[in-house]
Amino acid sequence: MAEYTFRIFRYDPEKDETGRVQEYRFEPEPGWTVLDALNYIKWNLDGSLTYRRACRHGICGSCGMTINGKNRLACETQLKDLGTTVVTIEPLRGFPVIKDLLADMPPFHDKHYPLKPYLLTRTPPPTDKERLQSPEDRKKLDGKYECILCGCCTSSCPTYWADKNFLGPNALLKAARFLFDSRDEGFEERVNVIDDKHGVWRCHTIFNCVEACPKELNPTQAIVDLRKLMLRGRL
Amino acid sequence: MKEKRTSGGFYAWLFQRITGVILFVLLLVHFWVTHGLPKPEGVTYERIAPRLATPTWKVIDMLFLVCALYHGLNGVWMVVQDYVDSELWQGIIFFLLVTVGGILFFLGAITVIPFKAAV
Repeated sequence: MAEYTFRIFRYDPEKDETGRVQEYRFEPEPGWTVLDALNYIKWNLDGSLTYRRACRHGICGSCGMTINGKNRLACETQLKDLGTTVVTIEPLRGFPVIKDLLADMPPFHDKHYPLKPYLLTRTPPPTDKERLQSPEDRKKLDGKYECILCGCCTSSCPTYWADKNFLGPNALLKAARFLFDSRDEGFEERVNVIDDKHGVWRCHTIFNCVEACPKELNPTQAIVDLRKLMLRGRL
Repeated sequence: MKEKRTSGGFYAWLFQRITGVILFVLLLVHFWVTHGLPKPEGVTYERIAPRLATPTWKVIDMLFLVCALYHGLNGVWMVVQDYVDSELWQGIIFFLLVTVGGILFFLGAITVIPFKAAV
């Protein structure tokens, strides 16, 4: 492969007042992903580089970052697919930066707590079997349950950049995942959270979240579905 | 999430869409009738004024006025809610928007309602 230039956002809260860009130049091996390149830098060139990683298979959602201006998973992004030998890597936008590429994710995760992202039931479960769901009802959850919580969608949302109290596309997608689950009985509790000026009505349908999602989910569609659900409930 | 949550947003969202659809239809009607599309005619006082003096057009123009003011000012209010964190400033700006809306509505109403064509 050709020599690549990696322009990486660096920030050390103990040394730097603000972020800076550091360049690394080397020839990656064929088939490398951005995460492979970051690992190479950390293990061979600069051990101080900090980033989050875990599974390397696009499942854990740890390595979400902004690569050449787009939010992606570093482990799923092939260098050859970027179409350039200059790769700019930044931490996910919209979140505080702890160090280098390490975005502070609690502001993102905290949006989930009030939504109670687990099955809520009032009726006792059947004694002889689990709570059954028809294949048709199960199909309604397609495109809603596959989220890996990488944060790429909320980080790309201009509304979230402006209004940090906005639940964001991810939490609203999660709300839809449970509100459209035929087994769930937590309708009122969840609707009370999303029916808010910082909730489902705050989305301006910009579609950045759809573009950013590495799992090709559609949080905007989920938000529209939630609005339709609530509109039917009100009218 | 720890911060206090407030209800609201539904009606602002709903009426923004309803007024948007009404404005779209009214704008088509306006361009069709006033500008004579698809064959453009001259916009002259003699051609327009008698029509504006009819009760039907006064109702249409008042609907236009109300929808345009609501849609525009509510749009500004949505931007303000995005970018202004301070509740005090939000309150001040909301009051200003309502005041501007009220004044513009009054000016529009006293123009549209008593209008008589001096032809």
